[in-house]
Amino acid sequence: MKNQSAELYLQGTPICRGIAIGNLIVLHRQEQHISEQSLPIEKVDAEIRRFRQAISKGKDEIHALKQRLQKDRIVEGVAILDSHLQIMDDPMITTDVEERIRALQKNAEFVFKSVVTECQKQFELLPDPYFRERFKDIEEIGRRISHHLIFTHKTPLHQLPPDSIVLATDLNVFDTAEIDKTLACAFITQHGSAASHAAIVAKGKGIPYVSGINLEQVQSPHGGAVIVDGRTGQIIVNPTEDTLKKYKEMKEGLHDHYRTLTNRGGLQSETFDGYRVQLSANIDLLREVEGLNQFRGHGIGLLRTESAFASGAPLPSEEEQYALYSKFVDKLGSLPIVFRTFDIGGDKQFRHAQQVAESNPFLGYRAIRLMLREREFFKAQLRAILRTSHQGNIRILFPMISSVAELLEAKEILEEVKAELRSQQIPLAPHIPVGCMVEVPSAAMTADLLAKECDFLSIGTNDLVQYTLAVDRTHTFLNHLYTPAHPAVVRLIRYVVSEANRAHVPVCICGEIAADPRYTPLLLGLGIQELSIAPRHLPTIKNAIRKTSIVGATRLAEAVLKLSSAAEIEQFLTNEYQRLAPEDGLYNH
Amino acid sequence: MTKLVRKVRVVNPQGLHTRPATAIVKLLCNCKSDVRFQLKKDVVNAKSILSLLMLAAAKNSVITVTIDGEDAEDMMAKVVHAFQTGFGE
Repeated sequence: MKNQSAELYLQGTPICRGIAIGNLIVLHRQEQHISEQSLPIEKVDAEIRRFRQAISKGKDEIHALKQRLQKDRIVEGVAILDSHLQIMDDPMITTDVEERIRALQKNAEFVFKSVVTECQKQFELLPDPYFRERFKDIEEIGRRISHHLIFTHKTPLHQLPPDSIVLATDLNVFDTAEIDKTLACAFITQHGSAASHAAIVAKGKGIPYVSGINLEQVQSPHGGAVIVDGRTGQIIVNPTEDTLKKYKEMKEGLHDHYRTLTNRGGLQSETFDGYRVQLSANIDLLREVEGLNQFRGHGIGLLRTESAFASGAPLPSEEEQYALYSKFVDKLGSLPIVFRTFDIGGDKQFRHAQQVAESNPFLGYRAIRLMLREREFFKAQLRAILRTSHQGNIRILFPMISSVAELLEAKEILEEVKAELRSQQIPLAPHIPVGCMVEVPSAAMTADLLAKECDFLSIGTNDLVQYTLAVDRTHTFLNHLYTPAHPAVVRLIRYVVSEANRAHVPVCICGEIAADPRYTPLLLGLGIQELSIAPRHLPTIKNAIRKTSIVGATRLAEAVLKLSSAAEIEQFLTNEYQRLAPEDGLYNH
Repeated sequence: MTKLVRKVRVVNPQGLHTRPATAIVKLLCNCKSDVRFQLKKDVVNAKSILSLLMLAAAKNSVITVTIDGEDAEDMMAKVVHAFQTGFGE
């Protein structure tokens, strides 16, 4: 058996910044075989503590579940959970198991399992079938507690106990979307990269995330807290008291800093020499609009329309879509909303009419390509969006445009749909701006041509980086190659911005780069006037903008354009940010 | 110290099932005395929900309640009342 008490540092790839201290929960693993282990006498107390922790985690879970049921007024369920809570307090479970761990000097899961089995035998002897059935409750509880003892977990992600560090081979975007931030405090995965959609959702929620960790190393059974440092990619298993204290203080520090920034939510997003920046939010779900309002975002710069609908489900109908989009329009009032039409395919799949096997989905049938082919479905979405237009300030954005021809085709369909709606006397806003995503190098290089055909451009840096550098953004081994600091990416952004500015077409950046304050001065210096980011980044980016001068930013951009490698650029930007905002411990450490 | 012994009848149609058992344990959670229920030959700790369920007391079964301790009188009154009113069912 490994030494279980030594502090263990593991190095992974940092995906989402932040510090978390919590308990491990393993996702989607097969139930482990329970082995019988003898314990040295000095480990007995620790083992009993571990058992008590498992019980208390099990109880926390049930309490959380009970609250959900109470909210939904499921009275029967609440009564059952009450009895489960009492069973967990039952001396037959608590005292008996503890005494036996001490007497037998065996591991908790083994002793617990044998107690439950004995209990089962007694219940099986009962003549009355009703009482015999009660064993099922105990079985269920036994399973719940065992899971905490042997670190396996099959409960859905929204039922996690608080302070859970979710450990998984991989996470998909729907896993991360489902997770409740108040319960899951960090993610650790073996695979997964900074730019996968799952990571983007994690960043949006502000959940520290480290990948590239060998799960076997973190799975040794022990009961204590685990530290995740999403800034450096370090995982600390079995931390000493000193380490724990240090990280608790750092975590508090980050929290205080963020709180200070959020308290300045009412300030303008302008540089200290008065250059105004439009600061909007990338939104997936309706409830995120609260964050937008709280931090005074200027609108929704990117509404990922596909995110609100479940993956694998049939494509949503026009009415389903209209119902949802209207809610967004209601909530936003006169603030602008950019509806990006469905960006499906790639790593976001729906059960759509025609599915083809693809060896290279990111270069394949996705986004506008799919929509132009699934024309009826595309029209249904456009109708649903357009029907909300007279109630608010809406814009339409087409994703994955790789040529002017595609943009023109999409616009033609849009005009067709508008004409149909007008003929049905459905009111439309007089002018609905149409935009084009610039996320493919061919679009970036023809920004001047695209700018002539639309009302705004939106640079999606996540895909632009992937396509420019030919690096799959979800590939674990290529994390080091995937960087927005590559000179090619910086030059492309500069080109798009200068062409857009020349054509007097506004241009927005809506990729991850916009949410990283180290890049803020560079982006402003390149001439960007609008950034769209997950709501929780609004305070940080506003702070970065307010500390920048536009003159300084322009000079900084010139300096960056002279550098020849991603590493140099990244270092340069990090150093500059260190000078600009030394108090930001999330980036300066 | 007082030791009280009383006989009570289970009036609940389904007997002393999960809900009444839960009610008993809740009732006794701050009880300082030792509380035993006896049905025929079986004697159990009334503060353990599992033990209560294992009694498998059907409707009309008669349980001997023994309470031994400082708050025995108060507790006995509460327990008897709970049985008589069918645990609010």
